Amino acid sequence: MKGWTGYILRINLTNKTWKKEAFTEEFAEKWVGGRGFAAKILFDELKPGIDPLGPENKLVVALGPISGIPAPNTGKAVVAAKSPLTGFYGDGNLGTHVSSQLRKAGYDAMIVEGVADRPTLLYIEDDKVEFQSAEEVWGKGTYATNDWIYAKYPKSTGVLNIGPAGENKVLYAIIRSMEGRAGGRPGIGAVMGSKMLKAIVVKGTKQIPQERADEMRQLGIDGLKKARELDQKSGWSKQSTNAVLAWCNEVNGLPVQNMRKTSHAEASKVDGERLNDARVTTYGCPNCTMHCGITIEDKEGHESELDYENIGMLGPNINVFDLKQVGSLNYLCDDYGLDTISAGSVLGFYADAIERGAVEGDFKFGDAEKGKALLGQIARREGKAGNILADGTLRAARAFGKNSIDYAMQVKGLEVAAYNCKSIPGQALANGVAVIGGHHREAWIITFELKFSKRESYGPEKAAKVIELQRIRGGLFELLVACRFPWVEVGYELTNYPKFFNACTGLNWTLDDFWKAADRGYALIKLHYLREFPNATRKDDYPPAVWFDKANADAEGPQKGVVLEYDKYDSLLQHYYDQRGYDKRGIPTKELLAKLGLEQEAAETEKYARLS
Amino acid sequence: MKITVKLIGPLIYEGGFSEKTLTLPRPMTAGELSAHVKIDRKRPTIITRNGRAVANSDTLADGDRVVISHIYSGG
Repeated sequence: MKGWTGYILRINLTNKTWKKEAFTEEFAEKWVGGRGFAAKILFDELKPGIDPLGPENKLVVALGPISGIPAPNTGKAVVAAKSPLTGFYGDGNLGTHVSSQLRKAGYDAMIVEGVADRPTLLYIEDDKVEFQSAEEVWGKGTYATNDWIYAKYPKSTGVLNIGPAGENKVLYAIIRSMEGRAGGRPGIGAVMGSKMLKAIVVKGTKQIPQERADEMRQLGIDGLKKARELDQKSGWSKQSTNAVLAWCNEVNGLPVQNMRKTSHAEASKVDGERLNDARVTTYGCPNCTMHCGITIEDKEGHESELDYENIGMLGPNINVFDLKQVGSLNYLCDDYGLDTISAGSVLGFYADAIERGAVEGDFKFGDAEKGKALLGQIARREGKAGNILADGTLRAARAFGKNSIDYAMQVKGLEVAAYNCKSIPGQALANGVAVIGGHHREAWIITFELKFSKRESYGPEKAAKVIELQRIRGGLFELLVACRFPWVEVGYELTNYPKFFNACTGLNWTLDDFWKAADRGYALIKLHYLREFPNATRKDDYPPAVWFDKANADAEGPQKGVVLEYDKYDSLLQHYYDQRGYDKRGIPTKELLAKLGLEQEAAETEKYARLS
Repeated sequence: MKITVKLIGPLIYEGGFSEKTLTLPRPMTAGELSAHVKIDRKRPTIITRNGRAVANSDTLADGDRVVISHIYSGG
């Protein structure tokens, strides 16, 4: 078997043991890597109903067949577990040298089981695993932890680590790497914390197996050159993802005041131009051709790395329009190891709930200083408010009551990203059917629905576009484990990726083969969901109620009075299910599961829930 | 005819301005305006007028606010 190392490293923290397990060629070709590997491993090994923060949960770090090989933006890893935030399979990806180092160590994935008896750093070097003490940095932020690790190991080693939020099991704690990268929005950092696992450090010294290594080397060199040229020509890196902020503001899609409003007169104070003006430097992931992490000096003088999602959610969404203050809020999230999207959503929700009288408190929209204090309380689970808000908007809404769940901006427990979709039905659908909960990664169709469809349409073309993008963004790129930006932002051809894959593996796949593998992965994650929630309904695929609420419509501007319509949204959802081959609950039918080769997984699911 | 043009992201550096009000010598379509402000159309763009997308062939009216952007993925 070429292209894959053919091995998974299984580590047990309770017993301090590890073993190298071979996987079959059939497994490799069926699940490809990354999200596919993680979803399959966790489906087979986790019993439904286990406590996500208990010893039975497992942390999976999974790579793909092009991970770590010099080619455009292949320096990423998928981290996954049963999510404590959503209660079913959750994952995320982040840029890290783990992508190359773990593969050079001889593994395509790593499974971490059990719980350590003290704060632990796992050091992996080829066939050796060491369980080192991390007591010295337990309680420390991710920056200090990185410094501590880099004092012992070179920066080229692969590092994953958590901050106090992960240690204290904040349900939206993330995993960090390389001082600026973060992944695992659905609380994968909390799973790591629950295992007393502060950090993972990986070094490999072997060659990554490739079927046609010379061809891949040339494809990689050409690809890196081309993708860099495209970025330089486009000028994308000048503002990176934050170019979107000004555009969202212009088309009434910006999250303002917990998504009550869709634009703001002061949005230009935190837009891409201001970010570029304030730039200190720029960071990217390994093998990156278009660095997206622009750093600025925050209010306290720290270097804070910003992009659109964290500016949108920690800025306009809580009515903060001072870029330095947004930088400070972002820096604290990064240091505590909090997901910036969920953290911004939680702060916005809390201010909203106070303003609407659902709960008493002294946090108001626009109060950045109080916001900073709250982030610390959340990360430490300090006080009543800190502890409740550490559980995310869905659980906080259940605690506050008074219909606050209507404006908890989440789907399946995961907070939606920085797009206000009350007059953007296709993107609302993309959030509703994002397979791990409200996530923008799976599909982003706003420009499509404005340019190529009609904004107010709830037609099948929007469902088709969501599926097309899910197959690419949540499928191809999450299976191969590479960053989507060269393709989606600067036009690097998608057809290059099967070429990379084929050179590495010796197979002869086309994009259609990837779409089938992507559909298989999506279907399996839906089975994860059904096993955990046997009474699942199509209502689970609805976006937050406030997007349907006329009282929340824009009071002025081109989208004045417009909100989502329940009947129409439901018909759009049905288009999606019909095109996917899902039943009326949004669950893959047995017929589809058989077509995707998931008969065994279907039979396993039927022990817990009904399939159609 | 006066039109306010707002450019997004890298187009600002390509067009040489972020936002300005132009006095046009004659009525123009959205596509003509894009060429008028020297936007390279090799990469796909989306043009909105008063917050709603328009086709390149749509004629602009006095007082319109036009926003020109590349098509993004949303981070």
